[in-house]
Amino acid sequence: MSLRSNDRQWGSVAKFFHWLMALAILGNGIFGLCMDFAHSPMQKIGWFAWHKSIGLTVLALFLLRLLWRAVDRRPRDEPGPRWQHVSAHLVHGVLYLLILALPLSGWWFNSLRGFPLQWFKLFNLPALASKNDELAHTVIGIHEYLFYFLLLVLVAHAGAALKHHVFDNDNVLRRMLPFGKLRANHSQGDKP
Amino acid sequence: MTSFVRTLLPLLLAAAVPGLATAADYAVQPASSKLGFSSNFQGQSFDGTFGKWTAAISYDAAKLASSKFDVEVDLSSAKTGDKDRDGALPGADFFNVAKFPQAHFVTTAFRQNGAQVVADGNLTLHGVTKPVSLNVTFKPQGAGATLDVTGTLKRLDFGVGGGEYADTSVIGPDVKINAHLTLTAK
Repeated sequence: MSLRSNDRQWGSVAKFFHWLMALAILGNGIFGLCMDFAHSPMQKIGWFAWHKSIGLTVLALFLLRLLWRAVDRRPRDEPGPRWQHVSAHLVHGVLYLLILALPLSGWWFNSLRGFPLQWFKLFNLPALASKNDELAHTVIGIHEYLFYFLLLVLVAHAGAALKHHVFDNDNVLRRMLPFGKLRANHSQGDKP
Repeated sequence: MTSFVRTLLPLLLAAAVPGLATAADYAVQPASSKLGFSSNFQGQSFDGTFGKWTAAISYDAAKLASSKFDVEVDLSSAKTGDKDRDGALPGADFFNVAKFPQAHFVTTAFRQNGAQVVADGNLTLHGVTKPVSLNVTFKPQGAGATLDVTGTLKRLDFGVGGGEYADTSVIGPDVKINAHLTLTAK
């Protein structure tokens, strides 16, 4: 498996970004929704610090991923109807926007609340806006609903990938699986 | 008249001689004076002030031995510009104002450290009394003076923010004191 993608499958760098970010975004989103269960203010502060550090990591990974995508090749679309190609790319575009909007809305909320923003206790990042508690209340709602929206879009994304894998027996999912082996190149009705 | 001078002069002298060894007393002008502190939380510094405090200041740069500061601070008057933090500070985990409403600093000695005057004293905070040294910059101005005092203390020396709040990687260990006083002669 090469680092770079080729015509038929994703390279290991693209796979690394895809799966690591999927794990981080889902994990951090669910974790974020649970943070009110903290037992004490200090535990809550610690949990928020983790949530923010992971979110910033996702943002950094996203920027690196865009850079990599700009120089990497991309596999050709698997054979299929045009509406599937268009909707798949549309869903990818919306996911990219959400991956960017989630950490940025969190950062924005954090700034409006006047909280410090620290990455794993190593360094601090500046505020994006000056303190405004009223707006912060709105923005935390946006931050949360963006995640629910992401979950919805994810159902379409993962659902379609599974549908291709299980029912169509094609390489749509296999070419992104960490150690996936492609099925032999075959067209419909030409079973080995 | 002569008897008046004869009786009064010794009295005046008697009153003046111990006065020679005593530093001048000053009154604090609250409107233009500030007692501030700063620390940091998650790598970001924050500034706070105490709104209610009193200070008895006797000072003369030439008579450090008789100079004295005596400061009482109402701990419930701490403000740092964040509602969560300001809500937490008076609580049992930090100042515990219900039990220890005031902090008290009183000097024990002044000393010259190079060009800098240092006030050694005892600070009682959160039920703990410990020696604290503060840098003093006193500038006479007309009949009064300005007095700037700075110093650093360790919050955990006084048990401020104990228990799980003792984690100094989240809440900084040092608290810097900065006071600016405008004084008028009494």
